[in-house]
Amino acid sequence: MPTLEISHRDLCGLVGKNMNIDDIKEAILFAKAEVEEHSGDLIKVDSKDTNRPDLWSTEGIAREIRGRIVSGGLPKYEIKKSGITIKIDKKLKHTRPYTVGAVIKDLEIDEDVLSQMIQLQEKVSITFGKNRREVAIGAYDLHKIKPPIKFTTVKPDGVSFIPLEFKEKLTPKQILDKHPKGKEYRHLLEGFKEYPIFIDSAGEVLSLPPIINSEHTGKITKFTKDIFIECSGFDLKFLVPALNVIVTALADRGGKIESVDVIYPDGKIITPDLAPKEFTVDADYVNKVSGLNLKPKEICKLLEQARYEIKKHGKRIKVLYPAYRQDIMHPRDVIEDVIISYGYNQIEPKSPKLVTVGSQSPKEDVSNQAANIMVGMGFQEILSYVLTNKDSIFTKMKIPVKHVVEIENKVSSNWCVFRNTLIPGLLEFLSKNKHREYPQNIFEIGDVVLLDETKETKTRDIRKLAAAMISNSVGYEELSSILDAFTANMGTECKLTRATHPSFIRGRCANISVKNKKVGIIGEIHPAVLNNWGIEKSVVVMELNLEKL
Amino acid sequence: MVKKETYKLTAEGEKYLKEGLPEVRLLKILKKSISVTEAQKKVDNFSIALQWAKKNGWVKVESGKIIIVEKPEASDGVDILKKASAGDLTEKQMSMLLSRKLIKKGHDISKKAEKLIGKQINNLTPALIKTGLWKKIKLKPYNVLAKGKTVYPGKRQPYNQFLLQVRRKLMELGFKEMTGPMIETEFWNFDALFQAQNHPSRDWTQTYTLKYPKTGKLPNKKTVSRVKAAHENGWKTGSTGWGYDWDHEKASQLMPRAHDTAISPRYLSGFSGKVEIPGKYFNIVRCFRPDVIDATHGVEFNQMGGFVVAEDLNFKSLLGILKEIATKFTGADKVRFYTDYYPFTEPSVQVSAKHPEMGWVELAGAGIFRSELTEPLGIKEPVIAWGFGIDRLAMHKLGISDIRYLFSQNLEWLRNSKILR
Repeated sequence: MPTLEISHRDLCGLVGKNMNIDDIKEAILFAKAEVEEHSGDLIKVDSKDTNRPDLWSTEGIAREIRGRIVSGGLPKYEIKKSGITIKIDKKLKHTRPYTVGAVIKDLEIDEDVLSQMIQLQEKVSITFGKNRREVAIGAYDLHKIKPPIKFTTVKPDGVSFIPLEFKEKLTPKQILDKHPKGKEYRHLLEGFKEYPIFIDSAGEVLSLPPIINSEHTGKITKFTKDIFIECSGFDLKFLVPALNVIVTALADRGGKIESVDVIYPDGKIITPDLAPKEFTVDADYVNKVSGLNLKPKEICKLLEQARYEIKKHGKRIKVLYPAYRQDIMHPRDVIEDVIISYGYNQIEPKSPKLVTVGSQSPKEDVSNQAANIMVGMGFQEILSYVLTNKDSIFTKMKIPVKHVVEIENKVSSNWCVFRNTLIPGLLEFLSKNKHREYPQNIFEIGDVVLLDETKETKTRDIRKLAAAMISNSVGYEELSSILDAFTANMGTECKLTRATHPSFIRGRCANISVKNKKVGIIGEIHPAVLNNWGIEKSVVVMELNLEKL
Repeated sequence: MVKKETYKLTAEGEKYLKEGLPEVRLLKILKKSISVTEAQKKVDNFSIALQWAKKNGWVKVESGKIIIVEKPEASDGVDILKKASAGDLTEKQMSMLLSRKLIKKGHDISKKAEKLIGKQINNLTPALIKTGLWKKIKLKPYNVLAKGKTVYPGKRQPYNQFLLQVRRKLMELGFKEMTGPMIETEFWNFDALFQAQNHPSRDWTQTYTLKYPKTGKLPNKKTVSRVKAAHENGWKTGSTGWGYDWDHEKASQLMPRAHDTAISPRYLSGFSGKVEIPGKYFNIVRCFRPDVIDATHGVEFNQMGGFVVAEDLNFKSLLGILKEIATKFTGADKVRFYTDYYPFTEPSVQVSAKHPEMGWVELAGAGIFRSELTEPLGIKEPVIAWGFGIDRLAMHKLGISDIRYLFSQNLEWLRNSKILR
């Protein structure tokens, strides 16, 4: 969820009303946001809706608040033609096939405008544009560009220009190697023989998307008057709303929007397209979903506050909604806006009277009772992570490495496979408590994940119990009587048969079976395993499948 | 005190007290005569029986047959054993029973205890109590103020203990528990929740991917084709859908469960369990996200959530249910609602409650499941979905400030943990 920094003064200016911080905390709910913290003029805002990039700027937030407390209705945006064209090279087909563009004129760029513009661009390209993959945004000083603009490709060393924040000219390849943004985003160009590039008619490079703009043309300052903006990517479905969000924000600042012609090999499109879109909601359905008893007229008023325009009143309400919104798919999306206008905290909560019987899963029920038996025998329950590593469950246990459920994009190599046994977790715990008073009797009840081709998830979660005893003189028999007592109290009887297992001392290990089915193992841990864990006293361990008892 | 020998029955004596003396039992099966082999079959401890029957002059053995000589007056010989413990026997009877090892001399407990009279002693023995001699001795006072040796009782893990309380509260509110696998197909984690495959709504949470195993199986065709249609064109739900080609392959990918909501569509569709309407359901399960681990992000975490399904549920009832749960869990009487977003609910809401000690805490996210989610799964009634952040409450209850302590490996801390109130 995007976190934004906005200025208190700037927000009030755009809303057109003075508000103190408490007013803002309340009003910002209209923009699906929450004040995280504030100091002086700076307010940190958590914007909740990851599907509403139009709300990720002071301008967007102000628009929603203004609609509710000053004046509502559809925000109107006029578009003139700029006469500028962007010509798209068909060579881009696999590298970065689409772009859309716009011109903003007569924008007075102050500190607020500049910081919000940069922040919005960043949030849109990162959160909405999948970290620049789907949407990369460039803004340029129109007066430093000689249209028409060409969107084409170049060889990695086919051109050179000064990238933003640099002093010397670099080729695209050098940018990917040397520039911080190049290093950050070069994976997006990996495998391409030629890179996408915006060039004007004078051969001046505008940018190397999705990496970096040129220092000369692609830098917006307080002295910039007119701006050219483009968004490039792979799908117009993302590019169009991204561009609309940015141009409407700048138009709210007083900028005048002008369109550009984007000429594709197979035809021309004109962008931005800010024509409002139409939707219909049923007044009865609004009341059914909200639980409010609203008349169609009231609904219309609440919709207007949410920046809709009412095209047709009555039971079936036809509305127009702004082009910067791409989230409306179902009447429910509109209904939420009605409820937001109404105010969540103005609604009296009413819990339905439903007669239902509570219960916990049988697995939890049995686990809980099993844990209580172990506790009764003086064992301390512990809790470990399900995630572990191969070293812990195989190498340290002297078990040959096998297939287990393994994570690909691991954050840490300590936690990258799913445990298939609880025993290493117990040993790790003991290894971390060598200086604590002995004896230490511990147990854990938890799920392990086993591979199972027959299951829809190719895996099976098994609820297990494992217990360990460690002291200066702990014997196999002690744990074996614990096992007997445990299984007897679980209402079953277990049988032991001699077994060999690499983690246990030869001759001191047995398989546990119930009704001739193997349900677990018990034994004294092999000294080599103790060495691997750095444990200095002998340990006896048992592990049981609770689901088979 | 009168000195008196006491006797008690041996184990064998006790046995005969119940069953009768063997020689008497032999006599009982004997009408006139019986072959030795047959009698052997019918009488336990036959050799003892025969020996004493002969000794008493009751029987004789001739050519493999036992023949009655003289039948004594009716008695099973048990009387004598009964009398033995009371010491009511003649010398002869006594020596007979002693020689047969059916009685033995009892300990004269009073003898030993008498030695202690007038002394100051430590241990209050059974003998002193039984004989009443405790009246004549003096028990030494103890240093009752001395600290004993530290004892560590067996205990539940504190976080688990907390989760048990949470479970109990949910059951009290009438919620039934659901379970689901830790490894999920993307289908249940995302697609069935109407999170588009090529859209930021899929990136709503960061997720792990699996190196092994890679691909799972999708549920029945009917469910899959409806979910596909909902994504592509909204199916029959009145939605436009996301407008893209839904990919079967992508939905089959396996991943560690990233959020507990993955379980709800399994139940709503009837795939993993049957849903009763009206019904209240919950789950508390381990979830996995690739977060950098710090004081507020663990390696893995538990999520508590669920849904309520019934006819005529609406946003007002959603707020009501949230308030009820929030009150139950925090004791708060004040709650506040915030606008919120989840890819699978519309409308959505977040609830904060004024905890008596913690102040305002963000507690739960919730909403009404989107029609594009519930209708393809075969549910026509509104479904209210809710997810509760329990770890912050757990940390408060357990008095810890680092989330990693929920899975503490510090035995000292576990041993010192207190009961939860």
